[in-house]
Amino acid sequence: MIEFVSRISIVCFVASYMVALVCEASRLVFRSGIRGAAMIGFASAGLFAHTLFLLWRAANESAVPLSSAFDWYLLAAWMLAAGYLWLTIANPRTPVGLFMLPVVLGLIGAAQLSSREPFPQTPATQVWGAIHGGFNLAASVAVAIGSIAGLMWLIQAGRLARKQAPLQGFRMPSLEKLAVTTSRTLSIAAWTATAGFLSGLVLNAVTRQAGLLETVPWTDPVVLRMGALVAWLVSAECVSRITCRRPSAASTAAWLSLVSFGVLTLSILWGLFGVTRHGVPPPKPLPLHSQHVPAAKAGLASGVSP
Amino acid sequence: MTLAFVGGTHRTVPLDLRERLAFSAEQAAEALRRFRERFPGREVVILSTCNRVELYTAGEKNAVPPPTEQIVSFLAECRGIDAGLLAPLLSGESDKAVVRHLLSVASGLDSMVLGEPQIVAQVKQAWAIAQQSQTTGPLTGEMFQAALRTAKRVASETAIGRQRLSIPSMAVADFASGVFERFDDKRVLLIGAGKMARETLRYLRDAGARDVVVVNRTAERAGDLAATLGARAERFENLERELVAADVVVSTTGATHPVVSEELFMRAESHREGRPLVVLDLAVPRDFDPRIGKRPGVWLYSIDDLSAACDANRTSRQRELPGAMAIVDEETNRFMGNLHHRSTVPVIEQLRAGWVETGDAELDRLFRRLPHLDNTSQAEIRQAFDRYAAKLLHSPLASLRTESHSGSPHGLLDALKRLFDLKE
Repeated sequence: MIEFVSRISIVCFVASYMVALVCEASRLVFRSGIRGAAMIGFASAGLFAHTLFLLWRAANESAVPLSSAFDWYLLAAWMLAAGYLWLTIANPRTPVGLFMLPVVLGLIGAAQLSSREPFPQTPATQVWGAIHGGFNLAASVAVAIGSIAGLMWLIQAGRLARKQAPLQGFRMPSLEKLAVTTSRTLSIAAWTATAGFLSGLVLNAVTRQAGLLETVPWTDPVVLRMGALVAWLVSAECVSRITCRRPSAASTAAWLSLVSFGVLTLSILWGLFGVTRHGVPPPKPLPLHSQHVPAAKAGLASGVSP
Repeated sequence: MTLAFVGGTHRTVPLDLRERLAFSAEQAAEALRRFRERFPGREVVILSTCNRVELYTAGEKNAVPPPTEQIVSFLAECRGIDAGLLAPLLSGESDKAVVRHLLSVASGLDSMVLGEPQIVAQVKQAWAIAQQSQTTGPLTGEMFQAALRTAKRVASETAIGRQRLSIPSMAVADFASGVFERFDDKRVLLIGAGKMARETLRYLRDAGARDVVVVNRTAERAGDLAATLGARAERFENLERELVAADVVVSTTGATHPVVSEELFMRAESHREGRPLVVLDLAVPRDFDPRIGKRPGVWLYSIDDLSAACDANRTSRQRELPGAMAIVDEETNRFMGNLHHRSTVPVIEQLRAGWVETGDAELDRLFRRLPHLDNTSQAEIRQAFDRYAAKLLHSPLASLRTESHSGSPHGLLDALKRLFDLKE
């Protein structure tokens, strides 16, 4: 059993999610009596493998979820995949996977590009680190769900405005349900992102006080991008609340959610490809004996006699 | 085995004659009993709906089916109609065409509204009545099972019955339900109460709507309608106030000019606090100024909008027809293949019995000559003989099975009978 779990790789659950996505896309082309079961089967298999992969890392690589950027993205993807499975079982006629699974796969792709190196931790910073990571995770998942609901709202509203009957295999939830989801997730995202940012400040202060780890400067790209994301989400939430009693409130919330997702995506890309000191362990002074080894090796490699 | 059907549908029989020809459940049971008396040995089922009356009959090969004229006369006699009047309007089919027809009927492919699902229940009911009347048998049993299986396949593998075709059902299920998740917390406002509005209200009630207000120019008429529909009546002067409170409006007045102008609506809109509004304007000419439909949060559908969507659905159903017919053909061929294969069973049994008999006789002779063989050895030899016979029989039986799928394998059966001297 342990050997089986240890062999699970990212490819296993990515492949399962991709097959589930292909099944979802096939709704638009043809009808099938067994597709629903196949979709749920592949999504469940993917989620099962995904869960075992995270548990294996937690148990064997001291990589408790949220302890590295890699695990953070994988956990976010896991939450969305679990949400997809639940929604598909509860609403089998809604093609929610067409919207959620690409985000799940995108997050797994981001995990692949990000560092697997655990964030530096000390007992003093561990709790605040978990709070900081947890709030940011909740904010990101809320933004993703909100943007999916917002996009579905716009598609459904477009169909109703064009006075067309629903397309085969592409029946969206009602505008009422989507509007509630969009505005609630926007609120959750704003509050949790703010909490995540503030807990990050506390974490930085604790780190500075402990003097064990390097602090992240205010000008660090991660601080700037997270600050920008928080500022945007809080502004979006304010606009959404101000306009909530207007006829265009749902449309406004849908667009705000979509832009929020754009800001989040830019923020993630910035984090993946930008230079940062966030979550980077401080440079360790090399022990004396190890300083000589590379020189000796270099000498051997270059054919220089000692 | 012989299969036959005689019947008429909305395409061939005028409504007044269809009404006279239709059988109630009791009348159908009585007719089935009489048919059985007149044509002993025949299985029979009568399918009677508002759009068709069809009699299906089946029997073993030697039970020759009654000619179409006799069945027409029988139906006419049962319903007290002149047979001469019915004869040119009813038609008959036999064998494979009967199966294909029943499978198409059960799948809604022969219905007035293509793909309508109610016919499945009517086919089931016809079968149940025949079963209670003890006029069914293995042939009609398998045929009706195949019909229900085909209907299920057509419903699940094609979208032929998915799209709605009636304006009220589409207005509620595809448009109002696209805006609102639930209706039990919504206010429905009926302006006027034409037939279409009542029908739409029925669908809204099915969707959960409880709070219904009727507004009519005549207060007395509004009161009567409200009492009939289980709703609350309001004076026409309060229309603006009711528009503020409403979530769904169904309008069907006979007014010659818009009942709700843009100005009136904008006054109401300012008090609505941004709540969305679905307006089903089913009146001709329209009751709502079409500019209202451009306001944010207002989903206004006129009768033309809904008719266009229904037409699109009708076209969409037509596009599904070839796929549905392919399923019907596949199931028909499967049924006929099984039926033909069944007709080979007596010959196969005879052939097998002959071989077993010959084998047993030879084995008995062999064991008498070799008395030293113990029981185990004898059993081994018997098993070897059985395996040998089974292997020799495999090819002819497989050929029979294959031939059955493309029709009755008369040629092969005759050849087997002659080659192995099998009796009828």
